[in-house]
Amino acid sequence: MGERRLPFEGIRVCDFTWFAAGPIATKVLADHGAEVVKIESMTRFDRLRFVQPVPDEKAGNLNCGGFFNNFNPGKLSMVLNLTHPKAVEIATKLILASDIVVENFSPRVLERLELTYERFAPLKPDLIWVDQPMQGLSGPHKYYAGYGALITPLGGLAHLTGFPHRPPIGTGTNYTDYVINCGHLFIAIVAALRHRHKTGRGQHIVMSQLESAVSILETAILDYTVNGRAHFRNGNRLTNAAPHGAYRCKGEDRDCVYITADGPVHGKKNDRWCVIAVFSDAEWRAFCRVIGDPPWTKEAKFATLVGRKENEEELDRLVEEWTRERSPEEVMLLMQQAGVPAGVVQDAEDMLVHDPHMRARGYYVYLDHPEAGHTAYDGPSFRLSDTPGQLSRPAPLMGEHTDFVCKEILGMAEEEVNQCFVDGVFE
Amino acid sequence: MEIKETALGDIRVLDLADEKGLYCTKLLADLGADVIKIEKPGGDPARFIGPFYHDEPEPQKSLYWFQFNSNKRSITLNLETADGREILKKLIEKADVMVETFPPGQLGGIGLGYPVLRGINPSLILASITAFGQTGPYKDFKASDIVGEAMAGIMYLAGFPDDPPNRLYGSQAYHMASVQAACGILTALYVREMTGEGQHVDVSMQEAVAIAQESAMQTYDLRGEIRQRTSVSGLAPAHPAMGTFECKDGYVNIFLMTGLWSILLDWMESEGVAGDIRERYKGVFEKLDDLFLIFGLVMDREAYARFLKDEYAPVDEHLRAFLKSHTKQELYDGAQQRRLQISMVSTIEDLLENPQLKALGYFVDVEHPELGATLKYPGAPYQLSETPWRIQERAPLIGEHNSDIYEGELGFSKEELILLKQGGVI
Repeated sequence: MGERRLPFEGIRVCDFTWFAAGPIATKVLADHGAEVVKIESMTRFDRLRFVQPVPDEKAGNLNCGGFFNNFNPGKLSMVLNLTHPKAVEIATKLILASDIVVENFSPRVLERLELTYERFAPLKPDLIWVDQPMQGLSGPHKYYAGYGALITPLGGLAHLTGFPHRPPIGTGTNYTDYVINCGHLFIAIVAALRHRHKTGRGQHIVMSQLESAVSILETAILDYTVNGRAHFRNGNRLTNAAPHGAYRCKGEDRDCVYITADGPVHGKKNDRWCVIAVFSDAEWRAFCRVIGDPPWTKEAKFATLVGRKENEEELDRLVEEWTRERSPEEVMLLMQQAGVPAGVVQDAEDMLVHDPHMRARGYYVYLDHPEAGHTAYDGPSFRLSDTPGQLSRPAPLMGEHTDFVCKEILGMAEEEVNQCFVDGVFE
Repeated sequence: MEIKETALGDIRVLDLADEKGLYCTKLLADLGADVIKIEKPGGDPARFIGPFYHDEPEPQKSLYWFQFNSNKRSITLNLETADGREILKKLIEKADVMVETFPPGQLGGIGLGYPVLRGINPSLILASITAFGQTGPYKDFKASDIVGEAMAGIMYLAGFPDDPPNRLYGSQAYHMASVQAACGILTALYVREMTGEGQHVDVSMQEAVAIAQESAMQTYDLRGEIRQRTSVSGLAPAHPAMGTFECKDGYVNIFLMTGLWSILLDWMESEGVAGDIRERYKGVFEKLDDLFLIFGLVMDREAYARFLKDEYAPVDEHLRAFLKSHTKQELYDGAQQRRLQISMVSTIEDLLENPQLKALGYFVDVEHPELGATLKYPGAPYQLSETPWRIQERAPLIGEHNSDIYEGELGFSKEELILLKQGGVI
């Protein structure tokens, strides 16, 4: 069998995106063989370089941030000061030498820099130009600013998540950035690549992050437009399952550091939970057997789903009396052996270090980074049997490939490149 | 009006997916693919998931079904019969993609494992979406959405530390598994353009969700620390003027970058609610506006906690009082005019009234002739200029396209169809 090519070998991406929703989409392209040139400047560097986590001894080192590095492996990094005319000329050359251009500037910045599809499409009809603005390139709020932190609340998910007696705090993360918005973007890009392969024509993709976020509210929109019912947050409950929720389990007698809103908390690893989801009567009977058929499970009020839903608060308390005495792993294994859906509420340590399944599948990939050292990355999120993605190189140092891009991709002469360094083009 | 081509108009997809994969095949269908939903005779179990049209709980009226099956066609087919499996093989001969969510090994057990399918059609792309993937010690574990969210680490990050971790609304683990599967399918389709060969896409719901832990994995890897639920701040440690705040008629979310405090103070002063805080807490504002100082403080966690408690607290009180005096719409628009980052925490009513979504034409009307009604759906997650997203057809009725497929395409006679119907095959 000959050597397998990666899916996007030979595809060049000129990547102006920063933060997460853009860079993760281009990470997946890079994992699958695309040559991604990430453009930053010393003043407008990807702000994730600046965000925790960084090991204390590397504080302030813009090449060592785990948040940034995880989303940028395998990319080339070029530093370009776009306020310099020569830098604009180089960026233009790079755009015209690329198959795909991706950006997530605010439309205000785009207009100022004249980085628009309308300008470049006539020069290169097979170019795929991708804008990923917060809200759109048109409309009354096109200039509204925002990060992922604002899209989850604005897009409706925060209002619907959490317990009803609590304020709508959302997901604890900038949720839509990490799979939904970057995933939608990736789908659109690859659909356009395939179309280009068939027709020779490029196109213009616009992904409003707000529209993308509203697309994943399940039936919240239809139930409102059709039945006038406005969904509200309902904790961990479902209308068709009980027990259904996260139940406290026995803590571990092991030291750990939790990072909380109040800062670091040193103590035992005692914040342990397991979810259990009982939908059918058969699952309910299996659940009762697992917990040893205590007398309360025989009470008539718990015999039917309707009864369990009506007495759910009491039910949850009784379930937790049993789970509290056991580790979440034990609860999960006992339930799963009996065919009841259950799973540990894993924290990041559980995921990265302990989960035997994640380890057996080799999801996390460790790469040697010249400054950050031997560090973990998320591997591909889908697995192709014949042309699997792979993380070939760690995240680039800032500007690591400026020289390479100029000479090898753009064919600039040594002297010209050196002059650019002197003139502050690469700052 | 100009009729544009679609991105996947030449692609046929056989859809054997349950709730984990319904959004995946919807994504393909809305990009133009001919998605054939294969239902059990009597109707797919997802038709029994509510809510229902006008709260009438009937399999042809499930809004859940409507939401995830737009643009698809439907045939009924019983794979538990030998005839059913033979018919599926015939369909596979002409299909480009098949999406399935059976427990690992189940298709193989009925003689339809990937090697067999590849033998029938070497260019077929098979996407398998399961809770934990096709391999590994947990591959046979049972999982609904909440199990996926829990096992992938995102649930642990959501909520208040005193509460149980929060499940995200709306089956987000299913959505993420579906999105990742569609990414894999599109990639495999692109590869097939070069090689002519299909392949098997293995999607584990747990892996599909894992990267949504934000920076939690790296926080453990680089610092040996476990990120926990962050309550109202959304950040660990909390930052000043970031997170969820109460206002007059609901909530807003604030992400106030350093350097912007003076703009916020201008706003408060223009309404006469700032008193003399600019002067009185001058030193605090200087710290708040100094990016390097704040980040320095964040790195010295204890000094930072002292700063929040001893110095920032009175400023925070003024900010909260100001927010409580305004509606979420006033704060959202007022902040954006000043280029501050405040967003409303939208309710569903807010989304339907959102002027930007209206201007973009986000919500789309879809006709349901049987109901005599036109329903308003959420619209496109992206715009493609040459090959646009669209909803052309409402979700199919049970077996609506049996005749098209079985008679029109596979050439069964009426008599054969009657026989298959009686045999419980279709």
